[in-house]
Amino acid sequence: MINIRNISIIISRDLQRFWKYRWWLAGLITMNLADLFIFALLFNNMVRRDLIPNYFLFIATGIAAIASFASAFSIGREVGVEIRRNYTQYLLSLPLSRIELAFGRILSGTVRGLIYQTPFIILLFILIDLPSPLQIIYILIASTLLSTTMSSISIAISTATRNFDMQATLRSFTYFILFFISNVFYPDALIRQRFPGVLYNIAYYNPVSLTVSLFRIIFKIYATPPSGYSELHIIMYLAIWALISMFMGGYLYIRNLEK
Amino acid sequence: MSSGRDVAISIRNFVKRFGDIVAVRGLNLDIYDREIFGLLGPNGSGKSTTMLTIATVYRPTEGDIYVYGKSVSRESDEVRKYVGIAFQEPKAMWIDKPIEILTWHARVIGYSMSDARRVVREVMEMLDLWEQRNKMFSELSGGTRKKVEVAKVLIQRPRVAIFDEPTAQLDVIAKHIVWKAIKELSREGSTVIVATNEMYEAEALSERIGIIYKGELKGLGTPAELKDKIPGGDIIEIHIEGSLDPLTKQMLAEKLGAYKIDHNNGLIRIYVDKGEEKITPAIEMLSNKVKIKMISMKEPSLDDVFMFFTGARLGE
Repeated sequence: MINIRNISIIISRDLQRFWKYRWWLAGLITMNLADLFIFALLFNNMVRRDLIPNYFLFIATGIAAIASFASAFSIGREVGVEIRRNYTQYLLSLPLSRIELAFGRILSGTVRGLIYQTPFIILLFILIDLPSPLQIIYILIASTLLSTTMSSISIAISTATRNFDMQATLRSFTYFILFFISNVFYPDALIRQRFPGVLYNIAYYNPVSLTVSLFRIIFKIYATPPSGYSELHIIMYLAIWALISMFMGGYLYIRNLEK
Repeated sequence: MSSGRDVAISIRNFVKRFGDIVAVRGLNLDIYDREIFGLLGPNGSGKSTTMLTIATVYRPTEGDIYVYGKSVSRESDEVRKYVGIAFQEPKAMWIDKPIEILTWHARVIGYSMSDARRVVREVMEMLDLWEQRNKMFSELSGGTRKKVEVAKVLIQRPRVAIFDEPTAQLDVIAKHIVWKAIKELSREGSTVIVATNEMYEAEALSERIGIIYKGELKGLGTPAELKDKIPGGDIIEIHIEGSLDPLTKQMLAEKLGAYKIDHNNGLIRIYVDKGEEKITPAIEMLSNKVKIKMISMKEPSLDDVFMFFTGARLGE
């Protein structure tokens, strides 16, 4: 039986710590905004207008999606530090079930991702348009599922190996796959044209791409949905990602912490 | 039931391996309800491993441990409801403050926020921690960090309270405050296990002591029972220059009727009855073979008990 109170107490502690890293977060937000206002504005005049009519708005939706990555991934970074300092022994001794502990940590990452992502979503409302209430719910669900996926993957990476260098390599590799083999920076048409079949499928079903596609549909950055499926289809795929990664992250977290 | 007392923790054929390293080898031990049990052994003897397994941090490789009848292997969620542990190395993230660490601990073990604040303040004041409540953990001294760790269990007041070297790095006053708090826990009904490598701490706190060495239980009993297990009531200690050859050692044992002779780093310890009558013959026999620097006689201490059972000193 999972005790919701226990999970909420784990989340409260992780959020308290999240706030302690507020200057680091401010740095991340600045970087993301710099991506948007310098990089995007610069490229806006260099890209082919027939492929991307407005690169600034195009990448704004992408950056709103990847915003959840940095903060949701911060939970994995902390789990890694806890393992190196043997702090996990304390967590394992607490009167919590292992499932409560694992899912508490994953959901902490989810909440962090949502908090971080919110100002970027609001920025989209300001820059583009205010969607309908139903579309706002879709955005909220997609952001939650993406943050859960990111949080779970980051915890899985931090617990899969105790080698810090290996963790850093895996994190970079994941970053590379999720960001650069995705539609964040390039439109679907270009991905289809330039990427071979396997990479195109990775880019197509990548959770970051799915979320970006949903945002672009909702904010009508393209009149026709670029990925060819509806909001509900996307949410279903994102839910599958979140479920699989949550069970994988939870399983690895518990299995690799217990000796 | 065992020895007429209820058993709180039952350790059965407990083996713990980490890869090729065997940390604990077939440990069997009962710890009684509401007793203060001292686990005495040097670093690396297996006492921390045993306690971490009772706290369900580790899983037994073989055998099992039962806490109030619940198996740590199969019912770890239930076991954790009974157990609170103060670790040897204080567990906190360096960016956290003592007040945050302890309030969160109180919340996670079930206190409401208002009760958590009250209990945390009481315990912090008792341990003289309140003034340092808002410092970052990284800014605290080793002793203060240790107090924060001990405070977790004092806040929790669990049925089984485990302290792993609770007074390491503490000054004398703080040591006595912690000892008093541990005894208070026991009086309130907690079963307390204290792991230590300090003889005086084991003797000051424990009703019974288990001597653990190289993963095996070497001796078990009250401090008085353990001392009584040393054959011969007296120990003659002779400090010499150089070393004692095996033949002389054997002759010395025969002449004095010694139960055991240990010789280590220039110190000969002879376990005999009526020690005062054996000093002169010992000096006569040894003075021709080695240079005697000092000679003394004493009743056995826990230090001697440990040496008798393990053949080693605690610092070794």
